[in-house]
Amino acid sequence: MGNYLVAMSVTAGIYALMALGVNLTWGLAGMVNLGLAGFFAVGGYVTALLTKAGAAIPVGMVAGALVAALAGAVVALITARLRADYLAIVTLGFSESVRIVAANEIWLTNGSDGIAGIRGPWRATVSPTAYNLIFLAIVLSVLIVVLFVMHRLAAAPFGRVLRALRDDEDVAAVAGKTVLLFKVKAFAIGAGVLGLAGTLYVHDTSYIAPDIFAPLLTINIVLALVLGGVGNNAGAVVGAVGLVILLEGSRFAAPLLPFLSAAQIAAIRELLISGLLLVILRILPGGLVPERVAPE
Amino acid sequence: MTAALSDVPQLVLNGVMSGAILTVPAIGLTAIYAVLRFPNFAVASHATVGAFAGYLANVMLGWPLVPAALAAFLVAGVIGVVSDWVVLRPLRPAGLITVTIASVALMIALENLVRLGFGNALRDYDLPILRDWRFAGLRVGPQQLEDLAIAVVAVGVLFAVLHLTRVGKAMRAVADNPTLAAIKGIDAAKIALLVNFVAMGLAGLGGMLIGLDTSIDPLTGFRTLLAVFAAAVVGGLGSIPGAVMGALTVGIAEELSQLALPPDYRTVVGFLAILLVLTMRPRGLLGARSY
Amino acid sequence: MTFTVSRRAALLGAAALAAPRLVRAQGAKLQLGVLTPLTGAGAFDGPRMLKAMQAVAADVNAAGGVLGKQIELVVEDDETNPEAAVRAAHKLVDVDKVPVIMGTWASAVTMAVAPVCWESKTFLTTVSGADTITQLPHQGYLIRTQPNNFLQATKHAEFIIRQGRKKVFILSIQAPFTVPTQKRLTDVLTPNGVAVVGSLIYDKDKTSYRSEVDQALKASPDLLYLNGYAPDVGVVLRDLYRADYTGAKLTQSYALTEKALQELPKPVTEGVLTVQPSADVNSPAYAAAVKRLGIATPDSYEAQATDWISIVVLTIARAGQATGTAIRDTVRQITNSDGEKVYTAVDGLAAIKAGKKIKYEGASGPCVFTEIGDITDCKFRFNQVANGAFRLVEVM
Repeated sequence: MGNYLVAMSVTAGIYALMALGVNLTWGLAGMVNLGLAGFFAVGGYVTALLTKAGAAIPVGMVAGALVAALAGAVVALITARLRADYLAIVTLGFSESVRIVAANEIWLTNGSDGIAGIRGPWRATVSPTAYNLIFLAIVLSVLIVVLFVMHRLAAAPFGRVLRALRDDEDVAAVAGKTVLLFKVKAFAIGAGVLGLAGTLYVHDTSYIAPDIFAPLLTINIVLALVLGGVGNNAGAVVGAVGLVILLEGSRFAAPLLPFLSAAQIAAIRELLISGLLLVILRILPGGLVPERVAPE
Repeated sequence: MTAALSDVPQLVLNGVMSGAILTVPAIGLTAIYAVLRFPNFAVASHATVGAFAGYLANVMLGWPLVPAALAAFLVAGVIGVVSDWVVLRPLRPAGLITVTIASVALMIALENLVRLGFGNALRDYDLPILRDWRFAGLRVGPQQLEDLAIAVVAVGVLFAVLHLTRVGKAMRAVADNPTLAAIKGIDAAKIALLVNFVAMGLAGLGGMLIGLDTSIDPLTGFRTLLAVFAAAVVGGLGSIPGAVMGALTVGIAEELSQLALPPDYRTVVGFLAILLVLTMRPRGLLGARSY
Repeated sequence: MTFTVSRRAALLGAAALAAPRLVRAQGAKLQLGVLTPLTGAGAFDGPRMLKAMQAVAADVNAAGGVLGKQIELVVEDDETNPEAAVRAAHKLVDVDKVPVIMGTWASAVTMAVAPVCWESKTFLTTVSGADTITQLPHQGYLIRTQPNNFLQATKHAEFIIRQGRKKVFILSIQAPFTVPTQKRLTDVLTPNGVAVVGSLIYDKDKTSYRSEVDQALKASPDLLYLNGYAPDVGVVLRDLYRADYTGAKLTQSYALTEKALQELPKPVTEGVLTVQPSADVNSPAYAAAVKRLGIATPDSYEAQATDWISIVVLTIARAGQATGTAIRDTVRQITNSDGEKVYTAVDGLAAIKAGKKIKYEGASGPCVFTEIGDITDCKFRFNQVANGAFRLVEVM
């Protein structure tokens, strides 16, 4: 049981990182980034390929985050002028395209077979239980650092400009800020955090494959964000933890209904998850940790 | 292996046929967007609901195609009204993004309700399968033509209602300028109800049309989500004629893309289409909110 | 109300996650793990494999269970998604502490779950076909009852040659088996005078394959090799009928199951050849599965699932304990031995009780495993659809 809780905590931590990455662009800058799975994938593949070729794990991770950030900048340059809902659709398209390219370009990514045997920090020398604990410590450290950086960014002029952009783009433009540059920066940083989360995931599980980046992942993270409350970092973390509790807790509800077939029980579990989310949204539309309106 | 230039006429014909079917749920998505201002992802599972309602009518009750299609429309429409009233309407004050996310959760919930009721097995309608007709070096299926006819009639009826009836004009008024419409005394809540009924009904009909050519399972609607979105966006979100044009464009583009790309890159084509349109001509082919 | 407390608590915190175990701990049970797709792309196949396993478990329980305990299957949905599957595997391994996990289907899922299993010394049985799976460093904690692509493609090609076909076109979905199968088919067919006139990979989620069918038929093949899954192959068969294709069609048994035959129109499926890994033509194990499941022609997955649980149960009985390591160390005493042949778990358990040395022969084949968990060889059963029902063509 203990190992399961540790493993699920690692998952929650990685989800929280992803939510933070999306929150930077969405909550702070008002740009809906549904390309999260794509940037997650880019980070994962970069570190997988590099470390398999012999690079050290930290090198792979930093490279993964940087390449993802670069990809984010490119996507932002192309799409930053779009309205929120259009941006959502286009960035979702980016995600799906990354997944399909990864599945088809076997020479690069090994296709739908995926890449197995990716090294993890001290994986070969410690027991699996110890490895999980070590990894949890790593994820928590990264999370704390990212939270700190996010907090500083939000409080800094950079963050204030982003919020101004989010709340009224015309005013911000009149105020003379280079709107596009700020948006690209915000997008890139968010994408970088997503890529970092991807590198962590890949080194934790030692495997990467296109199917991991299916729409299911995007839906999970978005639900986590909305559950926690879009716009504030505490909300992102709370939402991610809450979502993992929902996803995993719902498994244990299954044994209570023995007269249904397995497919039906699986359906009930999904109903529980989506239903509970809708209920929480209804009661607390701002999420579990609604954003307090910042003073102007 | 990619197609050759000599295949173009057949590819275009295939694209027109698949695009015609796509029109129906695409109009549903775009109509909800026009009046309620958010992309309703649950359109995908209402398509599934409609497909299964039609299946029950056809296989369990023995109804022929047209009455079963009507059943698909009606059942999906009613579920659409109920799901919006119970789930989405109370969330509208929280903002459009929250409602959009809620529509994703609603989509998952509906899909699993269908799975709860019917399991995962693939099911087929009780309709004869016919060989294609051939003419001028091309081939087309009688079922495709029937689907096309149903789609044309449905869209035609919709246009008639929108332009010739009072309630249709009221819907267009709300879509065009909600404040003015409210001043003129049009009940926005009633219009929302009506739009959900019609739009989700069309989604359900679309789901059944897709299932007629293939088979149905709980994921039927979800698989078409991307294409439906692409069609609505390319035509201009909120424009019903746009959805028609967009669906045909997307259908034809997906087929023609086989000239240059292997067939399993089809989804990328859909997204590229969306990307191109949104970055270069965000109002879509016909511009937003033109009816 | 214990149930309300458990449900709320499970959703709120760690401590309460232990509560449902109280509900389950009545009477000594032997829990075996099942991780299979109940939602997602593989959702068509997971429930069928589970049913096959449940049927064997019911038979064994009726005959007294294993090691004096009744079998209980702990089932989790892998959602045909590696990320979700890893979480589910952790639950099965760390919370339920099952000695074995059976049922993964998608290759990516199996690859993702395998390290969780071997690191926790949990035995894993799978149908996934990617060659890389058995090459993982699984230390013996994995067996795969599905023949690898090389073996399958070889035997399929031999059948095609025997059928006298001369021009083959391959239609595939994008999957790990696509390229290796294509290559091996070509390597065997070409020197024997059969031309592979073309190949094409299609998107498995399309609602119409007219254009793909057009491309395939342009090359005038006399046999189409359909390498996909049930949902897409069903649509391809319909579109082939519409296009008036009269040549032969060969596909995997899981892509055209008996249930699907009842749904698809008869003209569409008429004459389609299906293939599955198999034991001898009169295999008592297969006949027993037919009777147990109430299906005239169980497909490849149903047969394999039957074999997994039978092998696991017999191994546990032989080893005298239910741990992953014991299963790993003892399994080949059941599958690779030269003992008395048994064809069902119930018969095998009786024989073990009587002190005999046994060899389990399965419904999906002889079930002899290599060092790395692949099957060494098996026969293949070829069926053909005639008027909406399967009839056996040959077993080779």
